[in-house]
This record gives sequence, C-alpha cells and structure tokens, in this order.
Amino acid sequence: MTALRERLAAWLGLAAPVPARKHTRDAAIVRLPAPAEVALPLAGLVAAVAPGDAVAAWAEVARSAAAARWPRRLHTPLGGQVVSIDGAVVVRGVPADAPAAPVAVGHRAPDGLAPEAIVAAARDAGIVGLGGGMFPTHAKLVSPHPIDTVLINGCESEPYFTCDHRVLVEHRDEVECGMALAMRAVGATTGAVLDREDYYPAGYERFVVRDRLGRDIPPRKLPRDVGALVLNVQSARALHRAVCLGEPLVSRVITVAGGAIARPGNYQVWLGTPAADVLAACGLDAGRAAQVIAGGPMMGHALAAGEAIAAGTGGLLALTAEEVVARSEQPCIRCGRCVEACPIGLPVPLLVERPGPDVLRCFSCGACHYVCPSAIPLTARLREAAAEEVKWD
Amino acid sequence: MKGPFLRSPQSTRGLMIQVVAAATPALIAAVVRLGAPAAAVIVSAIAGAVAVEALYHRRGLADGSAVVTGVIVALLLPATAPPWLAAAGGAIAIGLGKAPWGGLGKNPFNPAALARGVLMVVVPAHLFAPAWTWDAVTAASPLSKEIGATAPGWLALAQGDVPGCLGQAAPWTIVLGGVALAAMRTIDWRVPLAYLATVALLAVVLPGGDRVAAHAPWLVGDPLVHLLGGGTLVAAFFLLTDPVTAPMTPGARVAFAAIAGAATMAVRHYTPYPDGAALAVLLANALAPWLDRLTVERRVTPRGRRAPRDQR
Repeated sequence: MTALRERLAAWLGLAAPVPARKHTRDAAIVRLPAPAEVALPLAGLVAAVAPGDAVAAWAEVARSAAAARWPRRLHTPLGGQVVSIDGAVVVRGVPADAPAAPVAVGHRAPDGLAPEAIVAAARDAGIVGLGGGMFPTHAKLVSPHPIDTVLINGCESEPYFTCDHRVLVEHRDEVECGMALAMRAVGATTGAVLDREDYYPAGYERFVVRDRLGRDIPPRKLPRDVGALVLNVQSARALHRAVCLGEPLVSRVITVAGGAIARPGNYQVWLGTPAADVLAACGLDAGRAAQVIAGGPMMGHALAAGEAIAAGTGGLLALTAEEVVARSEQPCIRCGRCVEACPIGLPVPLLVERPGPDVLRCFSCGACHYVCPSAIPLTARLREAAAEEVKWD
Repeated sequence: MKGPFLRSPQSTRGLMIQVVAAATPALIAAVVRLGAPAAAVIVSAIAGAVAVEALYHRRGLADGSAVVTGVIVALLLPATAPPWLAAAGGAIAIGLGKAPWGGLGKNPFNPAALARGVLMVVVPAHLFAPAWTWDAVTAASPLSKEIGATAPGWLALAQGDVPGCLGQAAPWTIVLGGVALAAMRTIDWRVPLAYLATVALLAVVLPGGDRVAAHAPWLVGDPLVHLLGGGTLVAAFFLLTDPVTAPMTPGARVAFAAIAGAATMAVRHYTPYPDGAALAVLLANALAPWLDRLTVERRVTPRGRRAPRDQR
C-alpha cells in the first residue's frame, strides 16, 4: 500500500525526493528488557577494567588516552562482571534500579551552576553526539568563538526514524533543561528546539543553522564559527540527566522499523545491547528482510554480525525487498535528477566522471542515489572519488 | 556496506514507458486523421529502430529506449513517407545517432532529430513535398516561403488541417502528452516553456528575411503560426526534453532551450527551409556539454587539479 501510494505520488510529481515513512510516529517509547550482557566497543579508548573485575552499574569502564584531543569516557549500563575487554568491554549483569525520583526536580537546572561544572559533567558522563556523529559533547560546549544561539536538532529527516520525535513528545521538559544547560555553558542568549522534517536531509547540521538562523557555514567550518551550537535532541536530554541526576550516558531511544519487523516502534535500550537481541524482541522476520540496517536507510550501514547498539545508532531497520526497490544498474541517461536532488547543488555525474575538490563537500546524504532512475550507486562513487581526492590533497 | 539503501520507484524503463504513453494520443490522432499510411509510418519507424538496436545491443532492448526513438522518428515524418523511408529513419536514428556513440546515454545528438536531418538532405522530396493531399485539403506546407505560398491561418494549424508530419495532425495531443510528462516530472518543464517562449517572442519581434517578405509576409509577427506550425511542439515536448542530449543543470537547460528557440526562428526567417525545429535541436545538442560546464563552474568554485603530494 505504501509502495503504491509512493509510486503514484512520484508519478504525479507530488513526492518529496526521499519518502518519510514515519509509521512509528505515534508509537510511545517502550523500555526493552535488559540484555544478559552488553558489548561496549572500545574504539580507541583504553579499558579501565580487566576481565573478571566486578563493576557497578554506571561505572566508568574505559576512557581516552591522556593525550587525546577530545577525551571520551565509557560507562557500563549493567552492574556485574567484566567478561572480556577484547575490542569491546563485555559486561554481564543487571541494570541499576531506576533513580527513585528522577523527574521530581522539575527539570530545572540547579541555579548558580558554573559553565565549567556543566562541561565537566558532560565530560564525566561520557556524553557524545547521539545524532550519529558521536563527537564528544563537552568539546562542543567549549568554543573559541562566541556563541549566541543553541539549536536542539530534532529535524529527524531520515526515513522511518521517529525516536527523537517521541523523546520530544514525551520528555520535552528534559530536552529543554538540557538546552538551558548548554546555553549557560557557552553563554548563549537564545535557544530553540527544531523539529522540522519536511524534507530530507533537513537534519544536516549546516541546513539546521541555515534554515533557522539564515547563516551559511563556509566549507570546512563548523556551526560555532557562525555563533551557533547544534545539539541532538537526545544529547540535550543526556546533558540534563548527567547534570541533574548524575546519570552517565548508558541508554538511548531508538526506532525499530521496517516491513520485516512485527512490532515496530520506539524503544529505550541500554547501550551495548546486541542488535540481534533488539531485533528478536521486536519480532524480526528474517525470511522477509532483504536488508537489515544499523542507523537510517540513507546514511546507516548494513548491520554487521555481533554488532551492538552504539551511542550513534538511531535505530535498526529490517526492510523488505519491496521497500528497498532493488534494481540493476543501467547506463546513465544524463537526466539530471541527481543534480536537482543534491541539497548542496553538486554536479554529481560530472564529479563522478572527473573528480575535483568539490567532491569533498559531499556529506553522503544519498539523495542522488535515491533518485537515480538508472540505479547507479552515485553516493558510493562520490565517496570513492572523495577518498581519492583526499589522497591527492 | 554503507547506505543509502532506498531507491525511488522511478526507473529508466519507467521513464521510457511514460514517454511512449504520452506520445500515444498523438499517434492515435495521426492514424485516425490520416489512416493506414500513418499507421504504416509508425510501425515501420519503430521496427527500423528496434531492429538496429537488436543488432547492436540486444540487452539494451529491455530499457525501451529504441521504441521511444522509433515513435519520435514517426512523429517527425509525413504520412506520405513510404514505409521503407520510415524504417530507414528509425534505422538511421539508432544506427548513426545512438549505437556508434556507445549506446544509451552516450550520444551527443538526439537520434530522431539526427535521422530527420539526414533524410532532409538525402531525400528532401519526401519531406518537403510542396503540396500534398491532406483531409481532401490541398495546401502548401504551412511555413513555406515558396512562390504561391498561402497563409495557413492558425485555426487550420490548430486543427491539423495543413500538410505536415504525424506530430502536426493534432497539435493538442502533443500538448496534452507534453503537459502530462511535465506534470509527472518525467521531463523538465523548464525546457518546453523556455523553448516555446523564445519562439513566440522572436516570432513577434524578429523581422523576416527577404524571402519571407516577398512570398510569405504573414510569417512575421504571428507567434501562433510559429508555435502551432512545423515541428515546434514536437521539438518542445519530445526532442529537447530527451535527457541524454540536453544539459543536466536547470540553468543550462533553460539556456539550451532558448538557443534552440532562437535557432528555430532563424532557420524559418532567414533560410529557404520551411522548418528548422529539428536542425535547431541538433545545434542546441552540440552546445549542451559546454552549457553544462558553464553553469557548473558558476555554481562551484573551479580549481585546477593539483598534483599528488609526493610529486610536488
């Protein structure tokens, strides 16, 4: 039915280039049962525990080497025993009891909190960008440039994803508290929660700043260079929970969806939960799944064996063949749909044929890949061209 | 493996089917008005195109582009053309216009316009007969500048009561199909709009040449005659909108269509040819890659390719 409606809309020219498919918009957040064990990828961090160690829930299990430019910390959601530290810290145990009175504080940041204390809390809680970037949030809260505006990015434009939307619906006060804390940390005077998702990729940081503030971020510059700080909805919520409740980053809300999922919805999961556990709990029909994805259908990656939920994993998707519309590659007919679809106006086929420095501006949103009637993997080609360009640079 | 994992339902084959569907009302109207000869032209042109495509690249048949080419060749031929000529037109379109360049997507010139151009040179008598029977009305080609030419009148043009190609038998069917293609985003609406606007504007402001002044003064200052007469509408909706031979960026497409419009009017006013739409399309095709580069270089900062670091 969805496919038919999209096809009709595409034929009538009514469709946005990339479909929204937000079927789980109204699915309230459900907490999944805790897994028996969690796997927390080290990704360059140094383990602070050894196999066999007993750890408490929320304890720090790894941190960056002292020389790291943007130090990170990793906490375990489960309290129990460390099983192994090979590539990932694997902990077997049970989660901490939920804080007794988590929301009674009224979601107001304690008065008179120094900016440095907020930055320290973000660092100690190991908060990273939950939109997918996983960049340490405390590093964004210290800016060499004055920042006047904090934008909370709820422009969840990836198809299927509704977890940030649900967090805004159900925990807006927590998100706004996080925004207030971020504003105090950087000395901003204005803050706004944005939930524009009328086009893909509206959630790209540069477009959020451009659409809301009318400020263009020059190539190779960051939002802070134009006086803005952009935080993901769940990062802001995590900042609130770190400062107000002392809770480290140990869980997040994800969307589990797709035609091969029996119980699609939005789920609160502990970080490090094996993706297979989550999919099983949501009723994955492996026979119907043509593609299982960690992250969004546009910018995510094929789920690897044994992969666990990471901080940047916004969801798990199990798409049917009908949803992914697989086609074999045909010759380019130079129709120009990719050029029109590219949100930054790159001349995609010309860049694929003859790469130039502009290929580095591509952020792999996949819009060109999506619209190509000849089913050419344009985004992959641009990625290859960019890798080549970096080599030449 | 990295994403994206989604694809639009719009496929190349779907685009070709949509173009054929959009041309169908015009083909039906031609057969209804002109009878069996028109049907013979359509069938022969498609057969010629498909046969050569099959010889060259059998797997390419599945995308339907050869059928599209055959259909458009038919729209550019008069019903008086013998079937062998129509078949040759289809064969030339694929055999000269597409296959030698490397097949679908590689040809610089619109195959159907190229076939029409070749036939115009080789067998002009079949394409430019000064007069022929058309619905029992015997008249000169509407845009003729020969001695004894008569004013066609736009009503006759709109009703297709003038000699011409299959695509002129019922102009409203071409407009219908073209507007449907633009509404479905199969073609870029900017192209027909820019082309028709340029033709209309130049028809109003451009003074005619000596030949026009002497034998067909009604061709000056009358946009309707130029919009409805000759191959204007077919060129606007079915030739210039061929994605392969048009530029890729929106700005370049507008310039491309405007150039084609200016060339069409230049041929009509200043050369002995009665129509210049197909020639104008070929001219604009030749400029398309340059127009693309021009607009791209304005969109993004050009910088020379640098040498690898280890060679500096």
